[in-house]
Amino acid sequence: MPAAWPEKDDHELLALIQDGSGQAFAVLVERHTERFYRLAFRYLQNKAAAEDVVQDAFLKLWENPANWQPERNSKFTTWFYRVVVNLCFDHRKRKGPVALDEDLPLIDDREPVEETMMRAQEQRILEKEIAALPERQRTALHLCFDEGLTNQEASEVMGLHLKALQSLIMRAKTTLKERMKAYL
Amino acid sequence: MSNNRHDKLDSLLRSRRVEAASPDLAQRIILKARGLPQVRNFSLWQSVRQLFAEFRLPKPGYVLASALIIGMLVGFSTTPDDSSIKEASSSTAQLYLSLSGDEDLL
Repeated sequence: MPAAWPEKDDHELLALIQDGSGQAFAVLVERHTERFYRLAFRYLQNKAAAEDVVQDAFLKLWENPANWQPERNSKFTTWFYRVVVNLCFDHRKRKGPVALDEDLPLIDDREPVEETMMRAQEQRILEKEIAALPERQRTALHLCFDEGLTNQEASEVMGLHLKALQSLIMRAKTTLKERMKAYL
Repeated sequence: MSNNRHDKLDSLLRSRRVEAASPDLAQRIILKARGLPQVRNFSLWQSVRQLFAEFRLPKPGYVLASALIIGMLVGFSTTPDDSSIKEASSSTAQLYLSLSGDEDLL
């Protein structure tokens, strides 16, 4: 692969993908798989399901690269977050809520045992409570807290006004605070 | 108190962990894509744009000048078509003859 490939930005790579370049597709996948997997995992709480969703999203892009319309979308990642979130919605609709993975390593091995147990418990409860939130509130939390998007970016991904997104986050946090009283 | 709860919730939200993806996930996606053909949807507008993108016109000044030169060359190089003039003169002569014949009869 020529050295210049990884230096190309997302928009250049997408233009090449639209011309059928497999190398450009490979660079884009290598660059973003981890990030979109994280989002899908947060959403689905299941490694295999999250990997399937990310794979589907990228293969759809490869098969139909005209779906990406640079004149309509400001940033590739913002647009692709939306694609992945929609596929997560579809996946949940088809398969129902995913059970939390009991093997999930929620804790840091270096902490003292008691603290570790307590943190693990807190995190398990938190995951359950987040899973019980309405879909849009959950998505807003994932985008802002886990992916580190700004509120403005998250509102673009979700196709909402900024105020609507802020209100979703506020409601989600109020619900979580209420339901996790014992742990906060 | 409320602020403490708020901060603790924020820190809990930020410290959520994710199970790492399979190390070969990206490679799997790339390999799978190799076996899939790309769908190419060309709209009418896109095809027109593509056609014009390949068909570059030179500057208008050059276009005008070359059109004038070609026009002059074509104009001077073709011999005037005199068949219609001959036809017109022969029909006039016939008309004259027929008229003069009619006068003789009178």
